[in-house]
Amino acid sequence: MDELEKLYQTTYTAVVRFLYRKVWDADRAEDLAQEVFMRLFQHRPEKPRAWVFAVAANLARDEARAAIRRRKHLTLMTNDPGQAPSRMSMPADEEVEHDEQMTAVQGALDALTPRDREVLLLWDGGLSYPEIAAQTGLAVGAVGTTLARARKRLVDAYDRQHQTRDHAAHS
Amino acid sequence: MRHIPEDELHAYLDQALSRSQCVEIESHLAGCTQCQDHRDGIAALRDRTTALLSTLAPPRRFTPAVEVLQERAAARSARRATRWRAAAWAASVVAALGLGWAGNAVNERVPSGAAEAELAAAKDAGAGEAAAGDAAPGAQSVAIKAADSLAGRDLAATVDLADAGSPRPEPPARRPAPAAPAAESRTQRVEPVGTVLSSGQLLAANLDAATGTVFRTVSWASAERERGASVPRIAGLPVMEVQVGTSGQSGGKPLVVVAQQLESGQVIRTIEGPATDVNKLLASRHSESGSPWPAIDDSAGGIAGGDGAMTYRRGDRILAITAPLPSDSLRAMIRRLNVTER
Repeated sequence: MDELEKLYQTTYTAVVRFLYRKVWDADRAEDLAQEVFMRLFQHRPEKPRAWVFAVAANLARDEARAAIRRRKHLTLMTNDPGQAPSRMSMPADEEVEHDEQMTAVQGALDALTPRDREVLLLWDGGLSYPEIAAQTGLAVGAVGTTLARARKRLVDAYDRQHQTRDHAAHS
Repeated sequence: MRHIPEDELHAYLDQALSRSQCVEIESHLAGCTQCQDHRDGIAALRDRTTALLSTLAPPRRFTPAVEVLQERAAARSARRATRWRAAAWAASVVAALGLGWAGNAVNERVPSGAAEAELAAAKDAGAGEAAAGDAAPGAQSVAIKAADSLAGRDLAATVDLADAGSPRPEPPARRPAPAAPAAESRTQRVEPVGTVLSSGQLLAANLDAATGTVFRTVSWASAERERGASVPRIAGLPVMEVQVGTSGQSGGKPLVVVAQQLESGQVIRTIEGPATDVNKLLASRHSESGSPWPAIDDSAGGIAGGDGAMTYRRGDRILAITAPLPSDSLRAMIRRLNVTER
């Protein structure tokens, strides 16, 4: 098995997850991840792992722009509220709880600055500090600072949302 | 005493520091309870972040076989090379046209016979292009056949299914070269036919001529929606790809090809569709690969075939299953299908 095949086996799931957290659609995330790896096998770059996440981030950005265009178009044509992301089947109450938690984490992630969010997601995708630095343009020394801030803000934002919801539920 | 800054503790826990930096931090931690508490707090924060982020994961799915993506990448590169050739050809036509006009302008008062002839030839070529670009459905198959006979088994005519009309992102490399719109339209018309098998062999490279079928890779749900019926699948094997082919010739439910992965890593394909289309598909696969497939007599109904391929006929439709397996294993696979064989 060559190096790229190994990379594919070890990072495919991480790349799908990385993309999912940007496009919020499991099918699109898979499509984009396959596109990323197809390009990887075509181009065979020197630093493949960092390259994979850089291309994934670019595709997700393009996707977001296209989604905004589509949404605008849809709004003009109908009042379609859009579709909820697809999910595996699970018991109804678990599903509700899972949905609520997911929405809360998603909200917390959205509350971060774009840079903090990107660094956090790249780190969670398995990239090293130098790789994150190369992709985001930060100094390697600044990655730790950014991650420290991003982690704290994510957890704070999540807890705040929970408190608000609990408060609303009790009143 | 200097305490360890927060970002350094994050980097330390993320294993992003050099060996010497780690030693320095660890020796400080050994004697400083304040920094120990700080480290524990950061470790908890780090774990909590990971736990929160883990809720934002798509449903766990099967990782497609690496060969499938590698082959698609190879097919795309080949197509790109062909496109470049086409673009170069178109550019030379444009250049000839330009030269013709230039020559005409220089010799405006006394147009030379040669320049006129060149211009006329170039105009003829342009008219031909325009006619082909209009592409009436009838003209389309003619164009495809012409391209086929010209290019032989040119890879441009054997594009992977995934790119044929599916809503995949259009990579920049595949965008039409602006200088060559005519050449682009020619190539595109030939494109969405045929498929690449993961074995590296081409499944029905001349599928357009045989069945007029255009394939697309789709999700499971949309395959079922399009067919208005369940899609055949062998229980217990991960699905790699679902392709739906719409044939111009036969109406009704379209052809569907489901690729699944065997435990050995090899690919098994289940094909269901109108009898004529499936038979032509199998026949073209057979003649191309020269593989020792037995001739399949499906006229009597029931299960037919042998090592490598097996079919089951139901009325005017055929369900075929192909894999590098002996016939008894294939029979066992047919029994595991989610659709009834009786």
